[in-house]
Amino acid sequence: MTETTAVVEMRNIKKHFAAVEALRGVDLELRHNEVLGLVGDNAAGKSTLMKVLSGAYIPDEGEILIEGEKVHMANPLDARRLGIEMVYQDLALANNLDVTGNVFLGREAVSIELGPLGVMDNHRMEQEAQRLLSRLKIAIPSVRLLVERLSGGQRQAVAIARATAFDSKVIIMDEPTAALSVAAISQVLDLVRELKAQGASIIIISHRLEDIYGVSDRLVVLRQGRKVHDCPVVGDLDEFRERVVAYMIGARDDFANAAVG
Amino acid sequence: MSFKDTIKAQRHNIRDYGMYVAFVMIVVFFTITTKGLFISSRNIGNLVNATSYIAVLAVGMTLVIVIRHIDLSVGYLAGALGAVAAIALKYWLLPLYATIPMVLALGIVAGLVTAFLVAQMGIPAFVATLAGWLFYQGLLQLVTRSTGTIVIENETFNALGNGFIPDFRGLEILPGVHKVTLLLGLVAIVLFIANEINNRRKTLAYDFEVLPMNMFILKLVFVSLVIGGITWVMAGYQGLSWAAVILIVVVLAYSYITTRTVVGRHIYAVGGNPEAAELNGISVRKITFLVFGSMGLLTALAGILYASWLRSATTIAGRGMELDAIAAAFVGGAAVAGGVGKVTGSILGALVMASLTNGMNLLGWDISIQYMVRALVLAAAVVFDVATRRMAK
Ligand SMILES: Nc1ncnc2c1ncn2[C@@H]1O[C@H](COP(=O)(O)OP(=O)(O)OP(=O)(O)O)[C@@H](O)[C@H]1O
Ligand SMILES: [Mg+2]
Repeated sequence: MTETTAVVEMRNIKKHFAAVEALRGVDLELRHNEVLGLVGDNAAGKSTLMKVLSGAYIPDEGEILIEGEKVHMANPLDARRLGIEMVYQDLALANNLDVTGNVFLGREAVSIELGPLGVMDNHRMEQEAQRLLSRLKIAIPSVRLLVERLSGGQRQAVAIARATAFDSKVIIMDEPTAALSVAAISQVLDLVRELKAQGASIIIISHRLEDIYGVSDRLVVLRQGRKVHDCPVVGDLDEFRERVVAYMIGARDDFANAAVG
Repeated sequence: MSFKDTIKAQRHNIRDYGMYVAFVMIVVFFTITTKGLFISSRNIGNLVNATSYIAVLAVGMTLVIVIRHIDLSVGYLAGALGAVAAIALKYWLLPLYATIPMVLALGIVAGLVTAFLVAQMGIPAFVATLAGWLFYQGLLQLVTRSTGTIVIENETFNALGNGFIPDFRGLEILPGVHKVTLLLGLVAIVLFIANEINNRRKTLAYDFEVLPMNMFILKLVFVSLVIGGITWVMAGYQGLSWAAVILIVVVLAYSYITTRTVVGRHIYAVGGNPEAAELNGISVRKITFLVFGSMGLLTALAGILYASWLRSATTIAGRGMELDAIAAAFVGGAAVAGGVGKVTGSILGALVMASLTNGMNLLGWDISIQYMVRALVLAAAVVFDVATRRMAK
């Protein structure tokens, strides 16, 4: 593979829910070792687009290429096998399981390989969970705590730890800083930079434009299910913010003609 | 760590400990009020046999409740399958080794039918199994209509619910005590202690917190005493019954699967958050089929145990068993909202409820009072549950 092929290429993705047209033909490219910021107003379709990429939704139309190869993803497992991980906006945690159980949900480490009857290797999972969490520097007293007892930030950390546990090549984070304190936000942003340094390609959704500005190489703005802006992150923060808001509220639109055609 | 800190660290286990304490209190209460009759070897032996089929159902029901469903059909299904076993043995003249697998297989099929209605057709389990409750009640009446109560004459079959495991022959020591039972009890204690020590060592090696040494020893002594006591009491009559053996095997297998294996973890994940489970590659549909299939299997087993215990299949066999099993699961700590509930808890719940009935019978309490007392215990257990869970937050 060459640096010129994108890791992910989504073409003309359409998705509707009953009468709601959540995505009206979106093209999106994620390049190797790039951090892509995805922004847009509420209900713009950001989460829906990313859930299509993580295999949680099947698009009505459009195609997805991973490293130049066309793929069909029928469920999240398919996406995981292709190296795509996602931190969901609602975190997708099971409150009745402990931290370790959630980090390894669906991919439990086993000491005896017997398919579904495989015997879980709890000690190995606990150690690994602890290692992943210590990297995040959001204090969780014990990996044996039930997730229902954790604070919002701690829960966020568990979801992030899960998405980063398996050295995936594409990591999608849907508002990973939403529940976090200022200190914890900077930890998460540091982690994004570190993951990038380790070679991952990352898509990050956030309503906090300064976060996007701080970590992203490129920015895509969605509005009402369409891409309206796609540019490298340049300039100073104030200019950036002003420009992005203009696209978000519909004052500017780079792809207006494409939408008509 | 001080004792207080220990209690604090263990507070999420208070629910479990509370159950044990309540059970011990019930046993002590009835032992005193019946002047020892309750704890007599003979009574305990009968109690275990009379609880076994409910306990087996409760194990399956726990998992059904964990994945946020309910199964109202299991009582009459157990009755109908017991009748099928009786008919197969008596009228079709099938050998026992063919009858039992056939009945177990039918149970699995029935469970999968329920799962199909729930997981595939999207019918709420309450409604789907209410239909099953009606259907199997009709089926039971249909198959027993021409015969009425079917008396089972196969002694091997009847031994499942009434018989006891054999003892060593010709040993002179300890006359009147069942030696094999004692030996098994001893083995159980040794295995338990070895397992606990091994776990503790491993946990320490990985730098995770463990119970302080004195608490740990206290726990080992307490559990060993309980196992030893039960063994001694049972050995004093005719020893371990086959029903008890079957129940122990079911409990060990199911607690192992639910706590140690991948599929067990997935069952709880589906109960805790089905959407999250699905997003992490766990098929809620598959788990639903598995859990109802296992419920069907255990229902068949319960039906066999019940028919064997009564040495017959009756036209009303199984009536109300589903509610006893559900009550046992809730007393044992299962939560209506799903995701929570242990196999061992439900067994304890079944034992608590059965001990109450048994003890009150021995005391000659009126049946109306018995129902009300059991109602209070069920309600109290759930209140305690809610309170401890709130406290733990
Ligand atoms: N599962 C669903 N069922 C029905 N409608 C849905 C579903 N998921 C999303 N939608 C609709 O699709 C549109 C886009 O939603 P989406 O969650 O993608 O927005 P978003 O950009 O992530 O917004 P936010 O910033 O609030 O998270 C909304 O109108 C939403 O109501
Ligand atoms: Mg969203």
